[in-house]
Amino acid sequence: MSNSELSFKDIFVKGAVIYNPVLIQLVGLCPVVAASTTLKSAVMLSAAMCVSLVVTCVLASAVLKKVPRWVRMPVYLLTGLLMICPLLWFVETKTLATLSLGIKIYLPLVAINSVTAVHCEQFAVKNSVKTAFYDAAAVSLGASGIFILTGAVREILGSSSIAGIALNLPITLKGMTLPFGCLVLLGFMAAALKTLTGRYYAEAPAPEIRAPRTRETQPVSETEITEVEIFDEFWLEQEAETQPEPAPEPKQIIPEEPKEEVSAPKYTTAAEIDELLRSLGIDTEGGDKQ
Amino acid sequence: MKVISDLLITALYTVFVQNLVLSTGLGMSEAIRVSTKPGTFGRFAVMISGFSVVTSILCSLIDSVPAVEQSTYAVRAAIYGAVLAGVYLLTATIMRFVFKASSKLMGTLGIAALNTLVLAIPFINNSAAYSLADSIGSGIGAGAAFVLAAAMISKGARIIEENADIPEVFKGTPAMFLYVAMLSLAFTGFSSTSLFA
Repeated sequence: MSNSELSFKDIFVKGAVIYNPVLIQLVGLCPVVAASTTLKSAVMLSAAMCVSLVVTCVLASAVLKKVPRWVRMPVYLLTGLLMICPLLWFVETKTLATLSLGIKIYLPLVAINSVTAVHCEQFAVKNSVKTAFYDAAAVSLGASGIFILTGAVREILGSSSIAGIALNLPITLKGMTLPFGCLVLLGFMAAALKTLTGRYYAEAPAPEIRAPRTRETQPVSETEITEVEIFDEFWLEQEAETQPEPAPEPKQIIPEEPKEEVSAPKYTTAAEIDELLRSLGIDTEGGDKQ
Repeated sequence: MKVISDLLITALYTVFVQNLVLSTGLGMSEAIRVSTKPGTFGRFAVMISGFSVVTSILCSLIDSVPAVEQSTYAVRAAIYGAVLAGVYLLTATIMRFVFKASSKLMGTLGIAALNTLVLAIPFINNSAAYSLADSIGSGIGAGAAFVLAAAMISKGARIIEENADIPEVFKGTPAMFLYVAMLSLAFTGFSSTSLFA
C-alpha cells in the first residue's frame, strides 16, 4: 500500500493508539516524565505540543523536502519556538495564571522534542502535506492523551487533588510527582496498551525495545522486526557508517509486511555456529565422533 | 584553583547527584534509544558536552546583559533556542564543508545537539544562578550524565531481555519503563526528597 492510500482512519488508529508515540515509540518522554505532574500542566504541555508538532510537520512536508537533513533539524527547533514562545509570553504577561518554574522551563523544550524530529524526518518530509497533517494530528492526540492521563493520575495520587481541587485522600504518594512515579505509571499503561492492541489489533506486530545487538547476541528473526525499528531507522542509520547505504525506499508509517534485517547475522563462537547448524537440521555431533 | 574546583563539583553533581537524564527526564528518549547502540556512546558524550558547554557559555554571557536579565522566560527561551541553532549550524557547516563529514556523522551531530538536554542546560544554569565555571561544569556533566544513563539502560535492557520470568504483557517497553523507573528512584535517593507525604 502506498502512502497515498493510507486513510485517515489508518493513520489515526495506528499513529495514536497502536504505535503510540510515548508508550510504544518512547519519544517525547521528557515533558511527560518531568513536567506533567498536574492536570493543568499536562494540558498546557499537550496544547503546546499539538500546535508545535502540527505546524512543524506541515511546514516540513510543504517546503523542507529538498533541504538537507542537517539544515532541516534546526528549522524544526526554530519553528517550534516560534509557536511556543509567543504562547508562553502571552500566559506569562497577559493572563493572571501563575506558572510553575518547571512549566516555564519545560514548555519551550517541547519545541525540541524527539516526537517532532522523528515524525518530521520519518514521515512528513516523505509524504504529502495532507498525510503529514493527519499523522501529526494523530500523534499529537496520542501523546496528549498520555500526557493528560498521567497528569491527572499523578495529581490525584501525588498531591491529593485534581485540577487544583483538594480531594483529601487518606494517603498521598509524593513519589508520583517525581519522574520515578511517572515512569512506573507509564510502564503499567504500556502493558495495558499492549494488552488492548493484542486483543483488538492482533494483526499489528507487537513493538519491543530490545537489548543492544552485539556479536554475542542471537540474530533477530524476520518476524521480530517491529514498527519501533521502522521508526528507529533514523537512529539506526547513525551507527551503520561502515556499511553501504541501503537502496532508498518510499517510507510509510505502517509496514504491510515485516522488514528484513539489514545487517547479516554474525556468528562468532563455535557454540553459536553449532546451534545454527542444528537449527538447519545439520548434525554437528557426527563430525566430532569421526 | 577555585574555578577548577567549582567546575568539577558542578560536573560531578550533574552526573551523580542529580543525573539530568534519570532524575529530571531530560534527553530520556534519546538515552533509551542510544542505549541500544553502545558503540556510539563516546561520540554522543563528546558532542553533547561540547554543545552544552558552548551554548552554556554563550547564554551565560547573554544573560549578563541587563535587558535579557529582566526578560521573561519566553524571551529567554527564544534566545537560548536561537543560540543553540546557531551553534549547531556553525558546527555542522564546518564539519560538512571543511572536514567533509559523512551524512551519518551529520545525523549524529543533529541528534546530539538538538535535544532537550542541551537546550535545558542554559535554563538550569540561569535558575541555579551558576557562575561561568559552574556553567561549563554543568555542560561537561550533561554529556557524562547522558552516557552514564545510556550505559545503565543498555546493561539493564539485556538483562530484561534474557529474563524469562517477566510476564508476557510486561515484556518489551513496559519492562523498560519500570527498569528506568528503578534507576530514576536510585538517583532520587541522593536527594532529600520523600516518596510519601
